[in-house]
Amino acid sequence: MDFRFDIIVEYFPFFMKGMGLTILMSVIGVLMGCILGFFIALGKMSSVWIVRLPFVWYINFLRGTPLLVQLFLFHYAVLPTVIGETTPVISVIVTLSLNSSAYVAEIFRAGLQSIDKGQAEAAHSLGMNKFQVMRHVLLPQAFKRSIPPLGNEFIVLLKDSSLGAMIAAQEILYWGRAASGQYLRVWEPYLMVALLYLILTLGLTYLLNYIERRFDVK
Amino acid sequence: MNRWIKGFAVLLLAVLVACGTDDSADQNNGSDKPTLKVVTEAGFMPFTYLDKGEVVGFDIDLLAAVMEEAGYNYELENVGWDAMLLSVEQGDADLAIAGVTVNEERKQSYDFSSPYFESTHKIIFRSGENITSGQDIKDLKVGVQSGTTGAEAVEKILGKNADNISKYDSNTLALTSLQSGDVDAVVTDNVVADEYVANNPEADVEMISDPDTFESEYYGIMFPKGSDIKEDIDAALQTLIENGTYAEIYKEWFGVEPDTAALEQ
Repeated sequence: MDFRFDIIVEYFPFFMKGMGLTILMSVIGVLMGCILGFFIALGKMSSVWIVRLPFVWYINFLRGTPLLVQLFLFHYAVLPTVIGETTPVISVIVTLSLNSSAYVAEIFRAGLQSIDKGQAEAAHSLGMNKFQVMRHVLLPQAFKRSIPPLGNEFIVLLKDSSLGAMIAAQEILYWGRAASGQYLRVWEPYLMVALLYLILTLGLTYLLNYIERRFDVK
Repeated sequence: MNRWIKGFAVLLLAVLVACGTDDSADQNNGSDKPTLKVVTEAGFMPFTYLDKGEVVGFDIDLLAAVMEEAGYNYELENVGWDAMLLSVEQGDADLAIAGVTVNEERKQSYDFSSPYFESTHKIIFRSGENITSGQDIKDLKVGVQSGTTGAEAVEKILGKNADNISKYDSNTLALTSLQSGDVDAVVTDNVVADEYVANNPEADVEMISDPDTFESEYYGIMFPKGSDIKEDIDAALQTLIENGTYAEIYKEWFGVEPDTAALEQ
């Protein structure tokens, strides 16, 4: 089987453009996902069931349906109804943010609940209020414990952004499909796509390893 | 535990026996010509699509007629687009038929039969948009199905991989995006366009064809490079076009008589 480098060379600038968009969408998705996820975790941990309920179902829906279906729903139905107008890139970012917020919420919740109850009780007895306990005692420890699963979630999210190709967001896979469609060839475009995602996820892995070491006080 | 192993062994045996009978049935079909492996992507209404799980369509009926004429047995498998390309390129399959348009770039990797279908492109756009010719889409956002010749035709007008071209995974998604306002117009094969408009009377769209901008495209059966059955298939195809069988199948699917002048070699 021959390997046609000319296809890769021809599409290289497009792949680079697509890589930029993939990074942009993923970074915003991760940040929004973390911020949202934090509040959703707190909501789900509420002791009042009526407060807890919407958060529980938010997580149920976003974890219990396929991401591609969510993307179609948000892009073609929800966002046009809610904000009137959307672009493929906005839809991908919103869908990734919401989807990852559900997973991040569970990661944070697990992290918070893994801290021994005695610590909160001890802090309370020192005169700290609920907010201070959270801010100074629980969060720092929970965050440290959350870093490895969060890293995992980021890598998944980065790869999931490739679903944007289905609604013509011009990211890496979009250009892979374009090249494949033009020449009716599968190997060259998709190997290139695979390589680019590998570079991104490996970069992220090393970055996360570094962060993990930084936070490791032991 | 023992029961599981026994059950598994019985299952394995059943599969082996099933495969075995399949093979012998093919060989008993009375022809000395080999059984060809045909692959398709059943997602291109009305050429090849799934009807209650069965692969049907114009391409499939034509395939049956061509194979009979050429005297080959064949096994048809719906494997999906990318798998179809790979298995033909690597010679695992003998041919593929799925409304594939022939062009120079594709000819570098595959052999194609003589053309078996002539298609033109149509522009579908939201009512109110002022489009009277192919050139009018120049400054609009145009949706196409990725990898189709509709995409290529639009690239000739807007520029290759231009920013205001959106390439979708399927015509359905492109047309949905037209309705949702992502794109202003969609360019696709006339058959697809007609089908869409007929099936979506509530969609507020118009369509035009423009033979000056969009040249006719031809579909071909796809072979691995250097295929030795291409000649047989081409000959059978010509016979069917000359003796009217082709026109019969065409009429059955599209309701009109074909103009076969361009298909005769």
